[in-house]
Amino acid sequence: MPYLIVHEDKCIGCRTCEMVCSLSHEGVVNPDLSRIHVLGYKGEKFPIMCLQCEDAPCELVCPMEAIHMQGGIRIVDDEKCIRCKMCTLVCPIGGVLYDYINHQMIRCDLCGGDPQCVKYCPMNVIELVPDDAVPEARKRGVRILYGEAD
Amino acid sequence: MFGYAGKILFVDLSTRLIKTIPTDKYAADFLGGRGIATKIAYDLIPPDADALDPENVLVMMTGPLTGVAPSSSRIDIVSLSPVTNLLGGSSAGGDFGAALKFAGYDGIVITGRSKEPTCIRIIDDEVTFHDAEACWEYDVYDTVDCVKKLGREDVQVACIGKAGANLVKTAGISFSKRNLAARGGLGAVMGSKNLKAIAVAGTKGVKVRDTKRLMEVNFEIQKRIRESPAFKKYENWHANIALSLLKARRPYFGDYEEDYWEEAEEAVRNAKRFFEEMATLRPNSCFSCPLRCWAWVEYKDEEAPMVACQGTFPAILFILKIKDPELAWKVYLRLQREGMDIMGTAAVIAYASRLGLVKLGTEDILWLIDEIVNREGPGNVLAEGVKRASEHFGVPAVYVKGGMESWSSDVRPFRGVALAGAVSESGSISRAIHGFPASSYYTKPEKAKKVAREIVGDESAAEPTNYKGKAKLVAYFENEHIIADSLGVCDTPMLSIPLELWAEAFTAATGIEMSPEKLHFYAEKIRTLERMFNVRRGVNREEDTLSPRLFESVIRSGPWKGVKLDREKFERMKDEYYKLRGWDERGIPTEETLRKYELEW
Repeated sequence: MPYLIVHEDKCIGCRTCEMVCSLSHEGVVNPDLSRIHVLGYKGEKFPIMCLQCEDAPCELVCPMEAIHMQGGIRIVDDEKCIRCKMCTLVCPIGGVLYDYINHQMIRCDLCGGDPQCVKYCPMNVIELVPDDAVPEARKRGVRILYGEAD
Repeated sequence: MFGYAGKILFVDLSTRLIKTIPTDKYAADFLGGRGIATKIAYDLIPPDADALDPENVLVMMTGPLTGVAPSSSRIDIVSLSPVTNLLGGSSAGGDFGAALKFAGYDGIVITGRSKEPTCIRIIDDEVTFHDAEACWEYDVYDTVDCVKKLGREDVQVACIGKAGANLVKTAGISFSKRNLAARGGLGAVMGSKNLKAIAVAGTKGVKVRDTKRLMEVNFEIQKRIRESPAFKKYENWHANIALSLLKARRPYFGDYEEDYWEEAEEAVRNAKRFFEEMATLRPNSCFSCPLRCWAWVEYKDEEAPMVACQGTFPAILFILKIKDPELAWKVYLRLQREGMDIMGTAAVIAYASRLGLVKLGTEDILWLIDEIVNREGPGNVLAEGVKRASEHFGVPAVYVKGGMESWSSDVRPFRGVALAGAVSESGSISRAIHGFPASSYYTKPEKAKKVAREIVGDESAAEPTNYKGKAKLVAYFENEHIIADSLGVCDTPMLSIPLELWAEAFTAATGIEMSPEKLHFYAEKIRTLERMFNVRRGVNREEDTLSPRLFESVIRSGPWKGVKLDREKFERMKDEYYKLRGWDERGIPTEETLRKYELEW
């Protein structure tokens, strides 16, 4: 199962990912409908999206049991969902969003295996890695943080 | 409408009336951005108005590509300039333009004058006024923080600092904390309207005609930007830009001194060390742009975002002759916080040194900046800009069209730059000469010659001191800049990508067929309208000139030793330029030209 990994030290905050995410999913450019968001404080910028947690709080809290894993991607069953938005409250990183135009819960669906943000990010901040490579990628982040870059 | 947000917001500050009109009314005739802004300014500003009158109109327009294509984050601001009292224009990047479009507006038109200091807040359809009495004298940083406390944290802010509030003629409009629509004193226009800030946040988004095609074109454009050799250099641009300007033999020193500043190289080396070793930089970009031309710079306890590509820091080094990078950093912080045009203010301070009011390269500069911002002592006169100050003190100064302070290049050896400075409607050379082959003649000779060969058909046109072919180059690059400003694309990446791709992006976004030829036709039309705006205000051949000192002085030392600007040959370049534009020998568009572009007085 692939995951998205963020190399936050490389991000330049251009929000191209927000632009292409909303374009490819909704056919409009609207960062508020993008499933990926660039957060930042002063010069530090990095993107945030659903990271497909193992014991996902959103899945646990859902009163309708509408959220489940399907082929490595956590999806919301629109029929069951009552739009209570509890999942947005418990998500530790703000990866679950509410689409206030089409009135549904949205989140990163890895674009069915070919994430557009990975393709368009000019600095290669976002990377799609198989799950057994995740620890290695995270360790790299820590190494850079403490000045031990390779 | 696709690509466009669809409507333009009109705010009358005198009556606090708000209305919107459909962008459709202008889009087919004037493209967007600078084109539509110029048309609105032409229609609404009375020919006899003064820049600081309530009758003046401040137009901020985004283009059809703003927010939907790579490197497209620009917003263009057009108004009557208080510096030149002619058409003034400046543009800025950042996230404001995109946010405005996502809120559902292609532009904002501000008319009238508010009785009390005010701030406009736009959240989608909700437009509200807020009292700005308490923050009227705040600097840009404090204003942005203050406006964000009104509610949504994610608003983008366009505001003025204390300089704009005090109607200082070198004040610009600051977009959030970093991007500045610097030239033309537009901050003073905002100040004269008692408007401190505009905050905008939007959740509506922009519809596009052909999603798939737009994504493909976007990918292609972005790929070309990332594969260009310059892309890698942008990471160290802050450290190297001063050096590359020096190598290109472009800077001038002090108040256009005839003698070369021998310590320039040392100053450049110090600045390089400052960015590479002393300060920490975090590269950043404007909305949708891969270039990362600005960085968050931290040094000791102070920090500021700094845009490298426009050469604001080199202007401080060269014009103010500062060898100590720490002092240059302090000057930068002060000017940035007050929201002032760095090149313009530096030129004013350099002129003050000619009068003996300040010694360049010393801490006194900081004192003089405060005097100008607060309009105290000699600062009150200097705040009026270089031309009016020179009339007051009776000591000749250096300026380009209408009294606008010069841009980073020395005008005398660069004939094309001199011509652009004289014929440009806003006096702002930066709206014409980016990409000019003469600017890079000594750093990338092959590329410069190639550009000259393609446009003029003659390699020697790339040589800076050659008068030949310069009129055609100026006309061509003016067109390219108008296209960039009207589409909402930043001119740095735009010029290195074939125009076909931008035309295709336009077609995919709006569904309207577009070609490079058609874009150039639009540019010529917009250029003619800009000219008409100024002709209506009494501009003709005589006003298309530079300050007399530029023709009289001869450069005595340095790489340009012995070079002077010849008035006769300069006038001949003007003739050539007028002909290319379809204007008569007085510089007035002919009846035939007006018919061609379907324009009316």
